[in-house]
Amino acid sequence: MNTEGEGVGITTLLRKGNMSYTRMTKLLSELVGAGLLLEMNQDKISKYMISDRGVQFLGAYHNFENFAQSFGLRL
Amino acid sequence: MVADTNFAVIQDILQFIGAFVSLSIAYVSFRGVRQTESTSLLRLTTAFAFLGLGFLVEAIVGASYYYPQLAMLTTTVVVAGLLLETTGYFFLAFSHAIDVMISKRLGYALLVFPMISLSGPQLSDILSILSFYFVLYGVVETLFAYARNRNPDTLLIAGGLALIGMGTFIQWLSLLYFQVDVLSLVQIITKEVGLMVLFIPVLNFTLGGKRIVGPV
Repeated sequence: MNTEGEGVGITTLLRKGNMSYTRMTKLLSELVGAGLLLEMNQDKISKYMISDRGVQFLGAYHNFENFAQSFGLRL
Repeated sequence: MVADTNFAVIQDILQFIGAFVSLSIAYVSFRGVRQTESTSLLRLTTAFAFLGLGFLVEAIVGASYYYPQLAMLTTTVVVAGLLLETTGYFFLAFSHAIDVMISKRLGYALLVFPMISLSGPQLSDILSILSFYFVLYGVVETLFAYARNRNPDTLLIAGGLALIGMGTFIQWLSLLYFQVDVLSLVQIITKEVGLMVLFIPVLNFTLGGKRIVGPV
């Protein structure tokens, strides 16, 4: 998944995420709804790509994760 | 008399610096809560908010040197400040305790509690010793976290908490040996240095943290 390119399909996500199909589709729906992922329909196949907002969120999450880890805590 | 006034002024300034540092940490943690909805950061926010308020309240004690009419409130204010500080240290220790429960690891610092809980009946003494215990627990758990993640900032925070712990212990001593004025100054200086060390992750955070580069 990257900010340039065609995105990835759900099969790749299922393989890397090690989740059930139902759980993955629910998660993807929530992430798309929150604007963190972009869903692209090409030839009846859905592909997913991280949005700019998603990149910003990941950056902020990493920052706060480091901040919490400094105090010996987990996010 | 002049020396007493100088002591009071220095203590007051240090209390305000302590309040600023604590509330800054609370603010950054609060921003984290809003963005990530993390309960760990919420507890951290609560801990440092109480600490900051505790320092502010204790600064009022110093103000009694300029406004003698406030002197009658000194004992109440000292206890109130200690109570707020102890609550802050409690939330800090509580955050680590939750982490321990989640990771099912034994909190070794809990074993220290019975040995240092013996204290005089005065509320200030009890609050000081409780503060010391909570901070000590935080130090041990932070060191365990360092052993796990090998993050240099974590080791720094453990050092800062250790200094704060030392400061709270000296604070307890200053309540027992109240005729020794220098103990009061030493405890606040030690705590301030500890807080400055705790401020480093805040500086790292505000000056720029990790950026996502390349594919995610």
